[in-house]
Amino acid sequence: MEQPVTVAIIEDHPVVTEGVASWIRSDPGRRVRLVQTARELTGLHAMPREPADVVILDLELSGELVTGEIPGLVAAGYRVVAFSGHSDPAIVMETLDNGAHAYVSKEEGRDHLVEAVLAAAADRPYVTRSQARAILADERPARPALSEQERQALLLWFQGMSKASVGRRMSISENTVRQYISRARAKYAATGRTAPSKDALLARAIEDGVIKPGEIVPYRSFARAGPGRSHPPGHPGPLNDPGHPSPPDLPPQR
Amino acid sequence: MTGVQPTAIMSGRYQRAFTIAVVFLVVGWHLAGAGGQLLHNRPAYGSFALQGAMWLVMALAIAAGSVLVLRGTPAWRPAWAVAVIALAASTAAAAASPASQMLAVNWAWGSAGWTGVLVLLRRRFTELACFLAAEAAATLGVQVWDGLHRTDLAGFLAVLAWSTGAQVAVAAGVKALDGAAGQAAAAARSEHAARERAATAEVIRAARHARWLALQESTVPLVAELAAGTADPGDPRVRTRCAVQAARLRRLLAEGDEVPGSLVHELHASADVAERRGVAVEIETAGPLPPVPGPARRVITDAAIAILTAARSKARITLARAATGIAVSFVADTGAAVRLPAVGEGVAIEQQQDGGMLWAEARWNSR
Repeated sequence: MEQPVTVAIIEDHPVVTEGVASWIRSDPGRRVRLVQTARELTGLHAMPREPADVVILDLELSGELVTGEIPGLVAAGYRVVAFSGHSDPAIVMETLDNGAHAYVSKEEGRDHLVEAVLAAAADRPYVTRSQARAILADERPARPALSEQERQALLLWFQGMSKASVGRRMSISENTVRQYISRARAKYAATGRTAPSKDALLARAIEDGVIKPGEIVPYRSFARAGPGRSHPPGHPGPLNDPGHPSPPDLPPQR
Repeated sequence: MTGVQPTAIMSGRYQRAFTIAVVFLVVGWHLAGAGGQLLHNRPAYGSFALQGAMWLVMALAIAAGSVLVLRGTPAWRPAWAVAVIALAASTAAAAASPASQMLAVNWAWGSAGWTGVLVLLRRRFTELACFLAAEAAATLGVQVWDGLHRTDLAGFLAVLAWSTGAQVAVAAGVKALDGAAGQAAAAARSEHAARERAATAEVIRAARHARWLALQESTVPLVAELAAGTADPGDPRVRTRCAVQAARLRRLLAEGDEVPGSLVHELHASADVAERRGVAVEIETAGPLPPVPGPARRVITDAAIAILTAARSKARITLARAATGIAVSFVADTGAAVRLPAVGEGVAIEQQQDGGMLWAEARWNSR
């Protein structure tokens, strides 16, 4: 069996921490192991007992929104899954733009949090309904262009259908539904501010055949003048990353 | 619709007319009054070229000032920049005039004063007063430098009274007219508001009447049956009818609230009823939604009531923009398909049954 994914919870309400811990414990495969809990961000740095692969971050700590702390966590090598009572699409977008792997609203926690943590640990996209909602609501001029199919899959998923039902509705397989939704998410990883977590997500998406390198050319708004997306030194972009060559045979995507 | 002009535009139009009148006055004065005097006294000046140059500088200042005021009330920096240029040009022209007949051949004092009126007209009155005082002081200063005689002083006072007096009078007149235009606009505004209130009252009255008629058809007979004992509250069918009518009542009440046309609002009212039956209802919207006309809203809320009534324990309602309209969807554990109209009032309804879960979507397009 694979090593369980290690996770830290940063949450200022002990009862919520307790609830998340119980979801983690009740996972039948015991795929996630809780290594640390903290009530504020400084607590994470204070006790490096065992490195956590993923941080479950409550976006509001002691009454303050901490979306701005996500880039710091990502730069420190953590994968961040935001877990919040805020489901305002603008906050969801900001969270993802800052480099969080996934966004899980508190209503969605029981069904989605453990799965989102596992997906984040593997650098795979995980799109909750609240994330789908934020993508559908996105009207910024610099938003990535989604295909009609991707948008339809996201809409039906947001509406509350299971992915199997979405597939039946669209006359496609459940797997293709996942692919459309993941591809929409990957396109978002290719836009906005740069973050190692986004690059990792994109590289993995290419490796998995979710998206072709040619499809992730970000929408370039005239507001974003300049030579294009820059990568921090020592962190090659996913398109020319020699460690992640794109597979020659991509599965057919209809 | 009768076209009542927005009052700000109306009063703005009057003010602009006054501004244009002042521009004409100032330009006319500089061309005919000052220009005429300049040409008439041509032999008297030591250097006609210098006087002509100053006249041109003043003309440019007036042109710049006109552009400024026609664009709206100028900020203090550009307004005073123009005023100071006019002051400097007029002082230079006065200083270069022959000492003994400075006032007789002076064309610049008047032009400078009018330029000040032009650019400072809509600013505080004290600013114009300061400018005119500075202008008079500068001219007097030139005269004192040249050697002041009693007759010169008398002449200075006469020109001051005539020229500056006229400038102050025009400025005060325009201020008074601005005030009158504002009052006229305010009167029109209150009349417009009264008419709008009357129209709104009429719309509300008509909507109430329509709601009352709707109740006559459905709710009143049910209440009558319950009162007469012909409908048994223990009968599940009667209970369903009651739940539907309660939801409809709430929806009709919601329609009359402050937010007319809010589909979300109406859906919330329907959801409340289902919640009382123990059905958990989520309502979520994605992004800004276009307004949906009344008849189409009614088709959508009727579908919502039918689905929520059939829901056993949970329902999710979402609203999202779709193409040129809106997609309202319902996911509920109804256990079976729900009878819904396929189409009506521009709304197309589709549904799909998967296990015990029903998915239905009502789409309305503006085109």
